[in-house]
Amino acid sequence: MEPLTLGALVALFTVLVLFSGISVGAGLLVVATGFLFFVDGARSLEALPELFFGELNSFALLSIPMFIIMGAAISSSRAGPDLYEALERWLTRVPGGLLVSNLGACALFAAMSGSSPATCAAIGKMGIPEMRKRGYPDEVAAGSIAAGGTLGILIPPSVTMIVYGIATETSIGRLFLAGVIPGLLLTLLFIAWAIFDTWRRGAAGVALSGIKYSWRQKFEILPRVLPFLAIIVGVLYALYGGIATPSETAAVGALLCIVVVMIIYKMVQPKALWAILRDSTRESVMILFIIGAAGVFSFMLSSLFITQSVAAWIGDLDVNRWVLMAIVNLFLLVAGFFLPPVAVILMSAPILLPIITAAGFDPYWFAVIVTINMEIGLITPPVGLNLYVINGIAPDISLKKVLFGSMPFVGCMIAAIVLLSLFPGLATWLPDAVMGTAI
Amino acid sequence: MTELTRRDDPAAIRAIGHVSTLCGVVAAFMIFASVLITCQMIFLRAVMGQSTVWQTEAVIYLMIGATLIGLPYVQKLRGHVGVDLVPGMLPAGARKMLAVGVLLATIFMIALMLGYGWEMFHLAWERNWRSESVWGIKLWIPYLAVPLGFALFALQLVADLWAVATGHDDVNPDVAPEDRRH
Repeated sequence: MEPLTLGALVALFTVLVLFSGISVGAGLLVVATGFLFFVDGARSLEALPELFFGELNSFALLSIPMFIIMGAAISSSRAGPDLYEALERWLTRVPGGLLVSNLGACALFAAMSGSSPATCAAIGKMGIPEMRKRGYPDEVAAGSIAAGGTLGILIPPSVTMIVYGIATETSIGRLFLAGVIPGLLLTLLFIAWAIFDTWRRGAAGVALSGIKYSWRQKFEILPRVLPFLAIIVGVLYALYGGIATPSETAAVGALLCIVVVMIIYKMVQPKALWAILRDSTRESVMILFIIGAAGVFSFMLSSLFITQSVAAWIGDLDVNRWVLMAIVNLFLLVAGFFLPPVAVILMSAPILLPIITAAGFDPYWFAVIVTINMEIGLITPPVGLNLYVINGIAPDISLKKVLFGSMPFVGCMIAAIVLLSLFPGLATWLPDAVMGTAI
Repeated sequence: MTELTRRDDPAAIRAIGHVSTLCGVVAAFMIFASVLITCQMIFLRAVMGQSTVWQTEAVIYLMIGATLIGLPYVQKLRGHVGVDLVPGMLPAGARKMLAVGVLLATIFMIALMLGYGWEMFHLAWERNWRSESVWGIKLWIPYLAVPLGFALFALQLVADLWAVATGHDDVNPDVAPEDRRH
């Protein structure tokens, strides 16, 4: 059978198998094993466990459980509400203060936890009731937090970026830097829209009035949030100062976060510490299983010459590179509607990256584009995790209102993709400036 | 988070659930151990100026071991993400049938990994293979996690299949949205 026909069959069967509700890891193994068996025979299956083991046999992968422990330690404490409270007190005089502090808290907490749904839950539990109490429309309150949460996978340190780095063999440090300016850009776009929407709905007065806080109130909250920010800054400094690898810095960060949580929030009971370990183990095992299975899956793709044939076929199509990019975006968007970001990246990056780089696009710029597409998937049905998180913490706001409130933010993200396409430097300038031009 | 094993479940299902929980505890400690070993490694290298021998390899094998041994625990918590769109739209009877089919396919797949994984471990044991590093650990030790992890995973999957087939499980994913990440 022609590799291209085989490729189409693989795509079809992957969709069918995954839609059965099977776990992503097991599903990838089933598809990979099935095709290897039917095309290459039973002997080709002998290497399956070695492929799985070999895919996980990498020191770089260790950064995933380490960053997850950092995030889990921070998420399990009261750091989220405290961060929210701190920004509220400091930014209350800024026009649209509460919206700015909410989205700012989302961006910062996202940076610390690296998880989108955890950001939504941590900031939303405080932010949504507070916004509604002060008269902000429900749509704005729910939508801004749902969208703000998605920043978790773009602003460093981000597990999604680590997975992209491992799948494409690109530098994780450089990927983190590439996400910074686009992350800030998205935060600003979100804030601008949220303020405009509040004004449009006739609640401009609400957005502009702020409660006054004394300097004492402003300072007393800082000791509870600054240590976490210091750890994140320290981790990133160690990473870029060339002191240690991402996995090493993440391990130190993980240990420090646990220690800080124990000191500041007095979480010293074994139960609280076990909760951090349990949550991070569940999360890490889930992701690492998908990574191992995706290793077997991509071995199947390349040993049946599918990867190479698809890349050659698209190369021969000779379409305009931006048409190609639009098609790739559409594919990522649709995949992101249904699948978790990690799975989409692991399955598609090995095939897409050679095509993208051959068309002259920067792999780090592309990482940002992929991530923003994945962010859209987090606030769009049918899987949109963040929508359900918001629905869970504010059950009296209908899912329809959450959805309508979130949709304009999808527009902001598409606008960011367009801006990044017009000015690729938004993603590539910072990594180049800090780490030198990529070879 | 809700643990799925309930009091009215048959004793065997509960027992397997406890084994899986134990696996989760072991996996969690393996991951935590890798945090500590990595920190110790940095301390030795950066502060004491010594070279490190076994640490890098040890943390990688601990992470792989934790992944494999942790599989049954994550299965028990319904923590392996999947696309539950179609199952969610089906009537109860069809959803149950689909769930049984999915579990059977997963069990078959994991049994295959278990079988070939055992061969991989056995070969390393028989021929006394060692890793190529300075440390030169006997490879059957990290390879043991492959058959062991997949065997325990298969066990939990069989318990789940039993629970679904006998109506002890309502086939709904039980992890709250905010507990899922990324």
